[in-house]
Amino acid sequence: MGKHVITMLPGEGTGPEICEAVRRIIDHSGVDITWEYEDIGLDCLDKYGTLLPEKTIKSIAKNKIAIKGPTTTPIGTGHKSANVTLRKMFDLYANVRPAKLIPVLKRPWDKIDILTFRENTEDSYAAIEHMVSDEVAQCLKVITWPGSVRIAEFAFKWAKANGRKKIQCVHKANIMKMTDGLFLEAFREVAKKYPEIEAGDIIVDNCSMQLVRNPAQFDCLVLPNLYGDILSDLCAGLVGGLGFAPGANIGDNCSIFEAVHGSAPKYAGMKKVNPSAVLLSGVMMLRWIGEGAAAEKIEKGMNKVLAEGKTLTYDAGGTASTDQYADAIIRAMDTV
Amino acid sequence: MLTKATTGRAKRPAKPITLVGVDVYIITEDGIPMFDDYGAFKIEFVSNRGTKVWPGYVSDDLMMVNWYRCRFMATRTVTDADVDTFMTALSKKWKWSAAQKLWNYGDEAGFSKAY
Repeated sequence: MGKHVITMLPGEGTGPEICEAVRRIIDHSGVDITWEYEDIGLDCLDKYGTLLPEKTIKSIAKNKIAIKGPTTTPIGTGHKSANVTLRKMFDLYANVRPAKLIPVLKRPWDKIDILTFRENTEDSYAAIEHMVSDEVAQCLKVITWPGSVRIAEFAFKWAKANGRKKIQCVHKANIMKMTDGLFLEAFREVAKKYPEIEAGDIIVDNCSMQLVRNPAQFDCLVLPNLYGDILSDLCAGLVGGLGFAPGANIGDNCSIFEAVHGSAPKYAGMKKVNPSAVLLSGVMMLRWIGEGAAAEKIEKGMNKVLAEGKTLTYDAGGTASTDQYADAIIRAMDTV
Repeated sequence: MLTKATTGRAKRPAKPITLVGVDVYIITEDGIPMFDDYGAFKIEFVSNRGTKVWPGYVSDDLMMVNWYRCRFMATRTVTDADVDTFMTALSKKWKWSAAQKLWNYGDEAGFSKAY
C-alpha cells in the first residue's frame, strides 16, 4: 500500500483515456500513491442502475481523497447529477477554481490570475423545486449563515496561505436582499478577522462585465453557488477554455479534484483530447495532500511542453494525441 | 413587425392534477425530526438544505441548520381536507415555517427529489 491511497474515478466518454494519461504523469513524479479505480457516470446505469454506485461511495468515504474524470449529467429529466450528489453527500462545500494564463494560448491580456471560491452546496442547487401550479415552476434559493461563513472562512484562509492580497464577494444583494444579503453579511463578518487581506464586494452583473473588460484587476472571488458556477466558467474562457481549467471540491473530511469540462463522448476512444484540466486538478490534489514538490515538477514539465509548442493537442493548435502529450510532459519532467 | 396585437399570454396545455403529498418545512433544534403515524400521510424523507438526512446514515456535517424539509406522501387518495387535518395534527407537535402541496401533473411528479 502506498503512502497515499487515492480513489480514481475515470468517468465516461474521454474520461478513461484522460485519467490514464494523468495517472502516468503523476506516478512519474515519484509520489507514492496506490490508486483505487472506481466507476461513476452514465456507464454505471446498466451495470448498477445508478450513476454513483455504493462501492464508489465507500471508496471515497474510506480514502477521503479522489480525482475524477468527466461525467455527463442528463438534462431536464432523469437521474440526478453524480457531481452534485458527491458534493452534497460528502459536504464538499468549497469549489476552488484557478484561472491563470497559459503561455502557449495567445490571449488579449498580459495577466490573469483569478481564484474563484464557489459555495458548493446551497443556493438554487438545494434541489427544492415545485410546480406550484400547472403554469408556474418554483425553485427555492437556500442561503444559510453557517454555509456562508464557512466558504468565506475557507477563502480567506486559502488566500492568506497562498499570499493572495484581495478578496471580493460577488452578489446581487441589491435585489435579493435576504439571500444574497445574508451571504454578503457573513463575508463582511469573516473579513474583519483578516485585516491583512483587502476585502470588498461587487454586484454579479458588474463583475461579469469587468471580468471581460479588465480581468487583471481581480484576485480572489467568493461567490454563492450559481454565480460561482457561471463566472468560474467565464474565467476559464478568459484564459483559454475548459481544456486547461482545473477544479477542487473540498470539505472538512473529504476532497474530490476534477476538471470542469464535459466527457466529450464524440471523441471517446480517439485519444486526441487534452488531459491538462484533469492533470492540473491532480496538481492541486498533490499540493493539498502535502506533495508540493511533485506538483511543482509536473507543472513545470507541462509548462515546458506548452512553451516549446511542439507537442500540443488539437485544442491548443497541435496534432499530438493524448498519450503523446503525456509522454512529452513525462520527458520534460526529467529535465526541469 | 411585432406589434401589441400579435402578442398574447402563452397558455400551457393543461394536464390532470392529482394531490399526492405535502412538503413541510420544520424548524427544530433537536436534530432530525421523527414523526408519528399521521394516517393519510407517511414520511418519505427529511432533508437539510436539500440534502437527504433521513432515512439512512449521514454525517453530522450535513445537519447545518435547524430547518428541515420533510416530505409526506399520501397513503391513499387524498383531498385538501385531508391536508388540513394532517397539518392541524402536525402543528400540535412541530413548529413549521411553510408547507407545499405536492401534485402530479398527468403522470409526472411536479416536485424534485432530495439529493
